[in-house]
Amino acid sequence: MSSNVAAQDLSPQEIMAVFLARDLKDREHVMVGVAMPIVEAAVRLAHLLHGPNMELIFFGTRMNVADRYTLPLPAFAWDNRVVRWAESFSDTGHRFEDVKHWHKRVFFIGGVQVDPHGNTNLIGVGPDYATLRFRGPGSVGTPTLSTHVGRYYIVLNSHSPRILVERCDYMSTYGWGGGGADARKKLGLPGGGPKYCVTPLCVMDFDEEDKHMRLHSVHPGVTPEEVQAQTGFALTMPDQLPTTPTPTPEELHALRTRVDPEGRLRRM
Amino acid sequence: MEPRTSHIIDEVEAANRIENGMTVAIGSPTPMALVRQIIRRGLKDLTVVDVGLSLDMLIAAGCVRKVVSYYAGGGFGVPVAPAFRRAAERGEIEVWECEEGILTLGLQAAAQGLPFLPWRGGVGTSLPEVNPDLKVFSDPIQGETLLAVPPIKPDVTLLHAAVSDEYGNVQHVGGPGWIDLFMQRAADHTIVQVEKVVANEAIRKDPWATTIAGADAIVRVPYGAHPFYSRGYYIQDNAHLKGYLDASTAAAKGDPETLQAYFARYCREPATHADYLEQIGIRRLLELHEY
Repeated sequence: MSSNVAAQDLSPQEIMAVFLARDLKDREHVMVGVAMPIVEAAVRLAHLLHGPNMELIFFGTRMNVADRYTLPLPAFAWDNRVVRWAESFSDTGHRFEDVKHWHKRVFFIGGVQVDPHGNTNLIGVGPDYATLRFRGPGSVGTPTLSTHVGRYYIVLNSHSPRILVERCDYMSTYGWGGGGADARKKLGLPGGGPKYCVTPLCVMDFDEEDKHMRLHSVHPGVTPEEVQAQTGFALTMPDQLPTTPTPTPEELHALRTRVDPEGRLRRM
Repeated sequence: MEPRTSHIIDEVEAANRIENGMTVAIGSPTPMALVRQIIRRGLKDLTVVDVGLSLDMLIAAGCVRKVVSYYAGGGFGVPVAPAFRRAAERGEIEVWECEEGILTLGLQAAAQGLPFLPWRGGVGTSLPEVNPDLKVFSDPIQGETLLAVPPIKPDVTLLHAAVSDEYGNVQHVGGPGWIDLFMQRAADHTIVQVEKVVANEAIRKDPWATTIAGADAIVRVPYGAHPFYSRGYYIQDNAHLKGYLDASTAAAKGDPETLQAYFARYCREPATHADYLEQIGIRRLLELHEY
């Protein structure tokens, strides 16, 4: 591999997309929900560069498009044109009839709040549920997906103490609950839980024992103090803190010319 | 003997079958000709099972008291549909908090006449707290912790499909939409609007393709899903939807003029679907025939 691209030429969203892309493996079933442009880019990049046998699932359409040079996707979640790339399609109801096989599946979840154990909230913010201060969009399929998929990633478009909070006002997905490596097992949740939380400042993982969020790497130019100041709870600090790797020239070329030629990830 | 009865009615009569306070499930592709007639009639206090911008329109038009929805995003980078957000934050609508799996199971429980069906997705979350109809229970076979999802019972389900004969035998292009068959099986009464009414012989030629057998009523409305897509017929009118979204966003911020003009122009003034199509214009409609 050639040397990586200098950080000043990259947007944090591009670094996020490449980090996620490298963590996805060939032959995995990768499902992308609505309104997650960084994740869309990551998945397509992995598919083009090292995942010719990946199955991509966008809004019920299952596709393999590794042979396509570029892949324009609609900006509107339920724009039916996404079906043009599909090899098969499953409707909402029937999509949930095969959870037995979801250990092969990888998913991504955003949130209006995320707590130290990777529990997330898409319901809303405010003490009184009947009159929320901020009403979220709703849970979509995340409660069921987070219960069953082999692993998932929490991906946030911004990193702030408003989003990364000590306690979610409401939980729409159960990550590691109140903490502990057996938290999910005790509730009978078969899926592998959240692996990383990726933000424009850093990557975080979960301590193997207490499953508390731990800084994994900081993006170039970001200090751990800065991350902590933008986080609403005390992060576990690792013994060694690397910098999130930047893309190789090949990765960046594919990202900018084949995956995101409109430059969405440079304008967020 | 009387001849077999036709199921065909028009969109005005279809909307007249819905009463204030009913539970109405709305499928996807979105049966917009019927949604617009609901708005035109000024129906009130509906419980609506729906997602996205059609849900937003019904709320913005004042038709909704309760929402059963797993997702009310706005699209175009707008995370939450504006009228939904404002009405929920002000406590003007009640939300039956759920998610895709739970909604599907609730509809299935209704269709099967069961008091509940069990589901795992949502165990450990706040869903049973904010929606007390969902009960956490220990299963009697293995003692696992699960959610009991009660039936969701639409009085009327409204769907959009490709074709039907006059007896309500519906065939989709490329299979039925989103969660439509669950909604149909759960409802007391299903009204399907279609792009085209075909001969009974055309249905009999390929009965395996029939997706809904004997829908209660059929409404013939070409372009009836506009501004949404209709599989095999036309694509989504994103410019129109963006216009609505901008108007709804402005209204949620206290400037309702554009939104009121939208409802007047597209829902209240056109008496029928044909009047609506004239308002949209043949030029725009034909543009939607290009992938």
